[in-house]
Amino acid sequence: MTRQNPLTLATPIKSSEIENLEFLLLKMRGDLENGVNEEFENLGTIHYLRLVVLKSKDPEGNVFPGIPTRFVFSTDYDGDEEQHLKDLAAKTPSFLDKLYSCCEGYPATNARTTENRLAYLKQWRIKSAAFFAGAPGRTLPQIKQENNLRNYIWHFINSGNWKNKSPGEIHKAIKENVLGQSEFQWVKEKAKLPSENWLGMAMLGLILLVLLPFIIIWILILHFVHEINDKPLGKTPSQIDATHTRKLEEYEDLHNQNQFTQFLIMRPGFMRLVTFFGLMAFAKGLINNLFVKGKLMDIPTIHFARWIIMDDNKHMLFFSNFDGSWQQYLGDFIDKSGWGLTGIWSNTENFPKTNYLFTGGAYDAEHFLAWSRYYQIPTAVWYCAYPNLSIKNVMNNTYIRNEIMETPSEQASEKFLKRF
Amino acid sequence: METLDLHDIQGYIVRGYKHMKFSRYVLLHITDATAAKKFIGDIADSITNVTHFPKTNCLNIAFTAAGLRALGMKESNISNFSREFSEGMTTPHRQRLLADFDSSDPQKWRWGGPNNTEPHLLLMVFGTDEPTTLSYYTQLEQQFTAAGMKDIFQIDGLTLKFNKEHFGFRDGISQPIIKGTDRNGPPEDYVNAGEFIMGYKNEYNVYPDTPILEENQGDVSALPLDPMGTGKKDIGRNGSYMVLRQLQQDVEGYWTFMNERTKNEDGSVNVAESNKLASKMMGRWPSGAPLVRFPDKDPCGEDKDDDYYTKFFNYQDNDKDGLKCPFGSHIRRTNPRDNFEDNGQKQSWKLTRRHRVIRRARLYGCPIAGSPTNFIPETEVGLMFTCFNSDISRQFEFISYTWANYPKFLQLYNDPDPVTGIREVPVPGTEQNFTIPDTPVNKYITGMKSFITTRGGAYLFFPSITTINYLTTI
Repeated sequence: MTRQNPLTLATPIKSSEIENLEFLLLKMRGDLENGVNEEFENLGTIHYLRLVVLKSKDPEGNVFPGIPTRFVFSTDYDGDEEQHLKDLAAKTPSFLDKLYSCCEGYPATNARTTENRLAYLKQWRIKSAAFFAGAPGRTLPQIKQENNLRNYIWHFINSGNWKNKSPGEIHKAIKENVLGQSEFQWVKEKAKLPSENWLGMAMLGLILLVLLPFIIIWILILHFVHEINDKPLGKTPSQIDATHTRKLEEYEDLHNQNQFTQFLIMRPGFMRLVTFFGLMAFAKGLINNLFVKGKLMDIPTIHFARWIIMDDNKHMLFFSNFDGSWQQYLGDFIDKSGWGLTGIWSNTENFPKTNYLFTGGAYDAEHFLAWSRYYQIPTAVWYCAYPNLSIKNVMNNTYIRNEIMETPSEQASEKFLKRF
Repeated sequence: METLDLHDIQGYIVRGYKHMKFSRYVLLHITDATAAKKFIGDIADSITNVTHFPKTNCLNIAFTAAGLRALGMKESNISNFSREFSEGMTTPHRQRLLADFDSSDPQKWRWGGPNNTEPHLLLMVFGTDEPTTLSYYTQLEQQFTAAGMKDIFQIDGLTLKFNKEHFGFRDGISQPIIKGTDRNGPPEDYVNAGEFIMGYKNEYNVYPDTPILEENQGDVSALPLDPMGTGKKDIGRNGSYMVLRQLQQDVEGYWTFMNERTKNEDGSVNVAESNKLASKMMGRWPSGAPLVRFPDKDPCGEDKDDDYYTKFFNYQDNDKDGLKCPFGSHIRRTNPRDNFEDNGQKQSWKLTRRHRVIRRARLYGCPIAGSPTNFIPETEVGLMFTCFNSDISRQFEFISYTWANYPKFLQLYNDPDPVTGIREVPVPGTEQNFTIPDTPVNKYITGMKSFITTRGGAYLFFPSITTINYLTTI
């Protein structure tokens, strides 16, 4: 099974070139909306690509001293990072040159080689603290192939006459037809799918149980030392700068999927940091063992998400790619995993008033939604390789592919046919 | 339970004025703020609140953001209203959420669009019949004309027998019931007042965002303080946001489509099948009876005005697979009841309550209750869609985008709401279908067509009586 991974590069922009880069990105965004996407499709492994100009300041405009404005290049891709970086350097040189000639230390025009491009990229890598893939193991070619298969079968079913046929007979007819098509020979091999690792979950549970007394004491100290003194933002949605929100909305709901980028400031202190990394470890445990079937904390719309801690643990960057609107996404977070969200994000500044790490916070819906917008920053360019597929579609397509090769019971055949 | 200040809340949000069969909506443009404020002051005492039960006429009033500006409200105060309201319905982003494209493009609207005179104020006049309404309206007209207000759009609304809309379906069933009012209905329909009326707790158990005065202006003495404790005056309390959209209905196209897709082999109309297809898309039969409870045929040969036939149902107990009521049908997606995605029943009811609106549709044009055999109206017909909510983004826009227009709803691939969500020109490279779960294979209605066109629209503030009086002092 090929894994999907996150790449994040954060590179200082030459201060004289910030505006030029922003202009270039704006043009790239426009071209992309008009279907110019060869640079992104070239590799055949990039599910999502996101480019961000990371201003070195908080939402009020206060500058972070000693940190330059950075250009963030990020992808969700198939395979390992080494190969991905090599591919980028070898197959998209003009794309990189265009972007990175605005950045500090990029090789001069006549001195660029695949090797020094690669070396340059490597030097700006940042690790993700946690990473979630909605459909783990599905490579980009596989997602596209499986969708073609689903569409083909859908048309086959819709154009047939199935009167007096049993579900089993219909399944058989579909299977025979698909196997007769030269372009679908790959279905003979089933896709490997991750499944829940209950042993891992039991281990995780055990560890938590052992640590529980310490966790309880920790949370109590956290509450009485930090939380009661923490300042929430205290704004409602109507009190957030409308120009800021409008700018974010310009790049929303253009497709059936959307992106979300937040740049947050960690609350200071050792306790906060330990709490945060503890929760990240817990999240990773859940992501690897439990959330392997299209849902993150029961939210069924997230394709990829990542948490990044940077600048000596001072800042956090959060990226996600999801189905549907911002309002639905944030609403789902509150409704389905408000506690988890609160546990993680309450370690960042101005988060709504939280008690005992997991309560309050996101459940204070009006203040939470306002806070979310407040720390959201514009994504300059966002590319999705399959904007017309929801994560549910992606999952369903793989199930179709795997179930087609089976010889199912009548009941299972009925279930199979319900997938269309 | 919180006690509502019923005398301070305008009546239309709680009561549909069913016995007021005739209505006239008029959109006004203010030219003289002082005179306009005097006019509002003059009619303030006649505005119907929830505790009034007038015999012949009702009157309600709403304002656009431009209207508040025209009355002299400061920008800093207008910007504390919800952004949806202060920016209006026609921004590019909102156009995408509401799918106002092609013929429905705000550029082509008759009112409320960027090419129309700005509406400032909406008067809604209701009466038991046409003459009573119009004689009352004429008095008002003399007053607002004298106050220098220009009538930029007016439209008369009707209520048909059994509350049918022009496609022929009973409308306005299963409304949420605001807790703290005297209405009755199924327990799951009771919703916290704050979902619809500002100043009370909503379904998150917090106070909804409310417009507060950033800078005091006018006589603020009667205004309450912001419940969130900022110490500022609240002009939202007992008020709501009102969504108004003029939706033209192509009744002929609608029934021609249904007839065409279900015709007999000899080409003749199959009335029963045509009716059934239209009902599968709606999720209810023309009488309002839900398919979940009556999957095979409409139980009301003669329409009955009886809650028994139209209410009291859920999806998980009786129709988990959508075999009776398709997942993609209009009523199942715009009010998923106990079947909100894959949540359990109790959680679903809870989540659904966070996305409801109070609807108040009135029909315009020569009345027709469409059917497979009667579908050619004498004039243009449609409805004035009206709804109330305290968070336009989480309620009206969420229902429109996430539930109705979004083709990826639940596990679907290419299925927007078959009644309200179909685009006139599909997004290039995509199809628009309607999936009817069936055995052994689902049925697919492909090449769905749009039969509704937006002709105008606005987001309005539907203030409390206190705020209406306050506005005359700014």
